[in-house]
Amino acid sequence: MAVSSSTSDLVRVSESVWEIPATARADMRVPARVFVDEEMLAEIAADPSLVQLQNVATLPGVVEAVLGMPDIHLGYGFPVGGVAATALPDGVVSPGGVGYDINCGVRLLALPLAANELGRRTEPLVHELSRAIPAGAGRHGALRLDDEEFERLLRLGPQLLVDEHGIGTAEDVERTESRGRLPGADPAAVSERARVRGSGQLGTLGSGNHFVELQRVDPILDGTTAAAFGLWEGQATVLIHSGSRGLGHQVCTDFVRRMDDVAARYGIVLPDRQLACAPLSSPEGQAYLAAMACAANFAWANRHAIAHSVREAIRSVLGNAAADGTRQVYDVAHNIAKIERHGGRELCVQRKGATRAFPAGSDEIPDLYRAVGQPVFIPGSMGTSSFVLAGEPGAMEHSFGTTCHGAGRRLSRTAARKRTTGADLRRRLAAQGIVVRCPSNSGLAEEAPFAYKDVEHVVAVVERAGLARRVAQLRPLGVVKG
Amino acid sequence: MTHRYVEHVGELELELESSSERGLFAEALTAFRELVDDAGVHGPPLRREIELPPEESALLLADWLGELIFLAETHAFVPRRVVALDLHGGGLRATVEGERGRPRHLVKAVTLEHLDVSQREGCWHGRLVLDV
Repeated sequence: MAVSSSTSDLVRVSESVWEIPATARADMRVPARVFVDEEMLAEIAADPSLVQLQNVATLPGVVEAVLGMPDIHLGYGFPVGGVAATALPDGVVSPGGVGYDINCGVRLLALPLAANELGRRTEPLVHELSRAIPAGAGRHGALRLDDEEFERLLRLGPQLLVDEHGIGTAEDVERTESRGRLPGADPAAVSERARVRGSGQLGTLGSGNHFVELQRVDPILDGTTAAAFGLWEGQATVLIHSGSRGLGHQVCTDFVRRMDDVAARYGIVLPDRQLACAPLSSPEGQAYLAAMACAANFAWANRHAIAHSVREAIRSVLGNAAADGTRQVYDVAHNIAKIERHGGRELCVQRKGATRAFPAGSDEIPDLYRAVGQPVFIPGSMGTSSFVLAGEPGAMEHSFGTTCHGAGRRLSRTAARKRTTGADLRRRLAAQGIVVRCPSNSGLAEEAPFAYKDVEHVVAVVERAGLARRVAQLRPLGVVKG
Repeated sequence: MTHRYVEHVGELELELESSSERGLFAEALTAFRELVDDAGVHGPPLRREIELPPEESALLLADWLGELIFLAETHAFVPRRVVALDLHGGGLRATVEGERGRPRHLVKAVTLEHLDVSQREGCWHGRLVLDV
């Protein structure tokens, strides 16, 4: 990794934007810009995430600036919370710029009842959610598709589950980013190994920071927009965080290696091998986009299947009316590359740990939300609030229609485990009235709230920067960890 | 032979050291086992054959762990020890003993970030970042 005195090169552009000019390093093509305040800047300077952002600024075809969201932290190649846009046709696409968990993202379901109506049924509901949704690494889901169906799922995403298996509704698909289907998906670009890894994992949560959380809306921060999203004060909600599982992990693994082999052939010199990339117009770039689209569609189908299991758990504990009245608010991707128009140009926007946040008026947003902007969900750390935001015009002006994706880690997993145990954390969360189900105590400790930045601080920064506005806060009642 | 985890905010960074290249690969298996072994109920011992085509040493180490990730995820295989390991012509052939278990906290992938295998002062050193 190239080393640079990144923080000493920072100049303040506005109240919430700092920039490392392109002149800071001979190999940078554009500035590296980060959305933070002074307090956050000190924390970010403690790890090399800004050096990683500068490395991203060296990619061929990158335009305007590479961006770091306020939840930026050290990743591999790209920092997590990093955004880069490259120009078609010959700008590059980097599989590491999307990440291994392709289309890791979040989906919010809104129940037709208030959280205080759950009463003593809160713990049984969390228990039923943990029973109904396979968690942990490699666990198999109940839904098995044959090879032909699996290929069509990779092309069609959740629409196939609605049309052919009666899972979920057409309304769910409509209320999903890109309607749950990226164009150009070609299963022929997905390796046999990736298919084997993903074939039994539809409807499974996975491990690490994936979760399903039962929540209460409290408080509403923007009444008009909350009403448009179908949210009201005190309402019970369920937030789902998962991704493309082993299939996406293997697609990324395959293409990082393939592009590592060919980057030099295209005259690409990289400061970090994990940034391996190829021109969008190249056979390797085209094949990656086709395989990544399959993985993205699989991830949307996975969260769709998990949402079905959530509804069935609600049916089991709360009855048919509660299950049938549970609506999907929206579903957003965190790790993805998409072809979008910005500033009159067609660009490949690569978001790694960042969320699309299109403002009111965008024809990419469902009609229902077009007057208020795209819903965005920002999960907090375990035991802390999450937020519902709406995209703002500033996102189109300053960040390729993008905002943050979460609280952002501030401590390593090892450091988190040194400070607490899973058992202790369970006790502390129970004392706050939060029910926890997690198959691994060490996994639980790694996700302790103090291992993350303050999510309220993160969303305050994106609001000040004009990227998104706060709509509602979601307080945890119970969590099922992967 | 030793291994240790280096502080990495987002992922897991692993450092390996051994007196031999073969030992380095065996130590990588030990580190992986520690990550996935749930110390729960295990079945009878199983043996798995792994064969990898020639690659530069660092990529071969990544491929080795990639095979262990694949076996854990798709066959619930928890590796215990290397029974035989032959590094020939830049490739690898190995027999690994383990058992069917419930691997926990699986690694998603081996990245190319900081990926390195080198020989210094009579010792083999390996370094890699795992996406978790």
